[in-house]
Amino acid sequence: MFPELNNILNSTPDSFKSSDFILVSDRQADASFLIHHYLSFYLRAGCKVCFLGLVQSFSHYSAVGQRLGVSLAQAREKGQLVFLEGLKDSIGAILQEESSQGTQHLSYLRSPGAGLKGLFRFVESSVRQNGDHDDGESWGPPVLLIDDLSVLLSLGVTVGAILDFTLYCQATMCTELQGNMVILVRCEEEDADDDEEGANLLQRGLVHQCNLALHVEGLPTGYCRDIHGQMQVWWRQSGETMYNPRKTFHFKVHDKGASFFARGTSSAVL
Amino acid sequence: MLLDVLQGAEPGGFILIQDTVKCTGRGILKCFINAALKRGEDVHVLGFEASETEVCAGLDRSCVQKLHFHKGFPDPLGWMCRSSFTVDQLTSQHITKLIKDSQHAKAPVLVIDSLSLVLRHHDPVVISQRLQVLRKGGDIKTIISLLHSDLHLHGVVGIVSHLASTVISVAPANNEHHAVATTTRRSKSGKVMQEEEYFNVSEDMTLSVQAKLRQHGHVQKEQKVAEVSNAALILNDLRWRFLL
Repeated sequence: MFPELNNILNSTPDSFKSSDFILVSDRQADASFLIHHYLSFYLRAGCKVCFLGLVQSFSHYSAVGQRLGVSLAQAREKGQLVFLEGLKDSIGAILQEESSQGTQHLSYLRSPGAGLKGLFRFVESSVRQNGDHDDGESWGPPVLLIDDLSVLLSLGVTVGAILDFTLYCQATMCTELQGNMVILVRCEEEDADDDEEGANLLQRGLVHQCNLALHVEGLPTGYCRDIHGQMQVWWRQSGETMYNPRKTFHFKVHDKGASFFARGTSSAVL
Repeated sequence: MLLDVLQGAEPGGFILIQDTVKCTGRGILKCFINAALKRGEDVHVLGFEASETEVCAGLDRSCVQKLHFHKGFPDPLGWMCRSSFTVDQLTSQHITKLIKDSQHAKAPVLVIDSLSLVLRHHDPVVISQRLQVLRKGGDIKTIISLLHSDLHLHGVVGIVSHLASTVISVAPANNEHHAVATTTRRSKSGKVMQEEEYFNVSEDMTLSVQAKLRQHGHVQKEQKVAEVSNAALILNDLRWRFLL
C-alpha cells in the first residue's frame, strides 16, 4: 500500500469511497504495481476480495504482498481472499475433453466466441459467499481485482464480450453490493486510425464505464533513473457535470513501495 | 440552436447525442429528458447502461411520475433473468406494445441509453431499420439516443447519424466548466444547418448555452453582405471617376 497514492486519491483503508470502478491502464510501461497497492489496500481494509490473477501465479502476488505487509496465503485460508489462478487453471480447462462445472468459468478458453458469462458467474458466486472473520464479524464490502483484462483479447475474446462482462460486474459489485472494482488493462501504441478491435478500444470502453482512471506511461523524454514514469489520475464524475479533473504525477517504484510527486519535484531534480 | 432543439423536439424526429471518453453526453441526455417531462410529455427510457437511480438523479421531482424507466440495467442481456427489457427487445413490435400498455393520451418520447450497447449486439443496419419504423409509426413523438462514437467504426457512426434529424456532438472546451456542442440539424426540406456552442449542465439538469462559437449559415450571410458592399463601393468609385 502506498501512502502517497492514498493522499492523492484521498482514501485510506479506514475511509474509502464505495461503489467505485477504478480502471488502471498502461502504455509502454508497467502499471501492475498499482494492482499490488490495491490488493494490500483492500485486504487491510477488511474487504472480501475476489482476485482474478490471469497473468501471474499466486506465489508471485504473495511474494510482493509480503513486502507490502499482507499475507495472501492467510487471507485465502481465512476466506477473505478468493483467488483465481488463471495460468494454472487454464491448463486443466484446455486439456479436458469437454467443459465441466469446475472449469465453466474458463469456458472462454475453449469457445472464445461464447463470451464471459461463466467468468461472471464465478465472480458473482465468490462475492456472495457468506464468510466471517475468525471473531464472527462479516467482511467489509466486496472488491473485484483483475490482472490483466486485456490478455483475454489475445485468447480470442472480443472487446464487446469483455465490456459486457465488466458491465455486469459493475452492476453487481458496485451498484448492488456497494463494493469496488479495480481492473488493469494494457494499451497498445496510439494510432490515429484507431477504429479496429484491440486494447485501445477496450480501454476507451472501460473509461466510459469507470469512476476513476489511472493511466501509467513512460516519460515522454525517455529513461530516467530517478523517475520511472508518469501517472495520470482522471476523476470521472457521475456523468452530469462537465468538470472531470485530471492531474499528472511522476512516480518511482521502490522495493517495498512507490513514491509519487508532482511533476518537476523529484529529489533528483530539486 | 441547441436550446431550440431542446425546447422543440419536433414530432417524428430522431435526436442523436454523440460523446467520447473526453466528454460525456449523459448530462445533455438528462437535460432532454427533464425538458420533455416539464412539457408534460411521457418519457420512456430504455436504460441499458445506467441504473434508474442514476438516470433520475437531478430530474424535476414533480414530473417524475411521467418517466417510465424500463430496466435493462443491471441485466441488459438477460444473463440473470432479472431484466424487464433486454437489448433483444429493441424492436418496433415490443416498443409499440410497451407504449400501448402504458395508455398515454399523446405519443411519448423514447430515450435509449445507450445505443452503443445495442449496436454491440445487433447489426447497425437492422437497428437503423427498426428505428426508422418507430419514427414513422406514429406511436412515438421523438426518439432521443446516446451514442459513444469512439467505441464504433466510423461507418457505423455514419449509418446512425445519417438516420438522425439532429446530431449533437459534445467535446471538451478549454474552460473546464463548459463543453462544446456541435449541433447539426437537417430540416424536412433537406437543408442542413450547423452550429457550435458552449454549454453547461447544472445540477438540476438545466441546460445553459453560454456563447456561440461559430454559426456556419450566419458566417456565409455576413460574407455575402461584405462582398456586395465592396462591389457597391467599386461601382460608386467608377461612377465618380466617370463624372469627373
